[in-house]
Amino acid sequence: MKIKLLLIAIFTVAMLTNAFAQKYITKTGKIDIFSETPAFTIEAENRTCASILNTETGDVVVSLLVRSFDFEEALVEEHFNENYIESHKFPKSTFKGKITNNDDIAYDKNGEYKFDITGDLNIHGVTKAVTQQGVITVNDGVITANIEFIVSLKAYEVKIEKAYTHAIKDEIALTCEFSFETKK
Amino acid sequence: MKKITKLILLCLALAFSNSIWAQEEDDLLAELEGELEEPIYYTAYSFKSTRIINGHSIERMQHRQLDFRINHRFGQINEGGYALWGLDNAIINFSFEYGLTDNIMIGLRRGTNKKVYDLSSKFTLLRQSTGRVTMPVSVSYYTNVSYKTQRGFLDLPDIRDADFVTNRLRMGYAHQLLIARKFTEALTIQLSPTYVHRNYVAYGEQNDVYALGFGGRYKFVNRVAFMWEYFYTSSHNGTADNGVTYYNPLAIGFDIETGGHVFQLFFTNTKPMVEDAVIAETTGNWTDGGIYFGFNMSRVFAIPSKKHH
Repeated sequence: MKIKLLLIAIFTVAMLTNAFAQKYITKTGKIDIFSETPAFTIEAENRTCASILNTETGDVVVSLLVRSFDFEEALVEEHFNENYIESHKFPKSTFKGKITNNDDIAYDKNGEYKFDITGDLNIHGVTKAVTQQGVITVNDGVITANIEFIVSLKAYEVKIEKAYTHAIKDEIALTCEFSFETKK
Repeated sequence: MKKITKLILLCLALAFSNSIWAQEEDDLLAELEGELEEPIYYTAYSFKSTRIINGHSIERMQHRQLDFRINHRFGQINEGGYALWGLDNAIINFSFEYGLTDNIMIGLRRGTNKKVYDLSSKFTLLRQSTGRVTMPVSVSYYTNVSYKTQRGFLDLPDIRDADFVTNRLRMGYAHQLLIARKFTEALTIQLSPTYVHRNYVAYGEQNDVYALGFGGRYKFVNRVAFMWEYFYTSSHNGTADNGVTYYNPLAIGFDIETGGHVFQLFFTNTKPMVEDAVIAETTGNWTDGGIYFGFNMSRVFAIPSKKHH
């Protein structure tokens, strides 16, 4: 009888440890967008991107408000929001993915680790699969992820009028930096 | 049920509740959204520029944005072919308007009509929004002080440039409350209760004039909008004691936006461009061709900040 109870207890604890998986969160993730042609520079930064990282499974989700991209030129911001990214129709952009080499990352040890991530990126109401490589830095309990994506405007159905196609490049660089802390 | 069976069943239930991995990512996104406060979605771009046509709109220059405007007003269309229907006569207003902060805009303007200078400021009081905070309208307050520098600035023959025409008498003031609502991406409507004061007016006219502006835009393609603006001046229209007939200013036209500029092409019955004169000194009449063709151009620049990446 006692052994049965012991086995059940061990079994339960083993199962329950999965329920308390370590989740890390940030609400101040930074994403810079950059695209340059001789005619035009698109440069903006969003400092309020939110993300959760599950270090147990490698699952990552990101959510951001498109209107939170700050441009130095109000006119460029106006065209970006009104004509191109249409933030009044698609106010948020999200990412749902998984770090495929999650087991290689020792989240509890300080250091730098390369990571591979695959997931679905949703921009302008269009979802596309993306795969990219980045670097995770662990420093005394703070996990920082740095990654760069190149995104094609055409792929996400962002329409640029013929008159401006020479002035705006189709490829935009997204430079992301997320510093996670333990989710309480 | 035996105690031990209950315990086994409980353990199995717990075990299976953790193994639904397929939903994990969707749940994680929902969990993230649950952590975030509902944002305030501020309505933006109710109008394409800081003017409807003659008068100001609720739009402002944000911090470090500078708007350079050149407003042209040609002569009256009823001047006929010889004067190229007014195109031979042009008066110009050019101005610089700058966002001191995101919500305070200051302006300096100079017009050729009566060589008038004016200083203005516009304050954003309320912004239309949805989401966590709902605000149905955007409200701004606009005020200016104008000063006519032309030596003999009154058009009436019985007044000449005299000693009594001091600096103070050359001044005029305007106060406007601008209330606008963007109903759809295409339609915005604005009401502008207005008060203007001119320190010196001809005999029979009034120093204080009140008006209610009704204007708006209808954007029918991405970069072109139809604009209209009418001021009902209840205390002022009709024929004054001095025999001059004033009319309510009405303007209709189009806003055309290109990459960096906003152009406005319109017809209006008001010749002056400074607010106190627009409200109180409109002598053009829509029914007898006393209308002017106007062309405004606005270009917004960003003054770069000291920090560089």
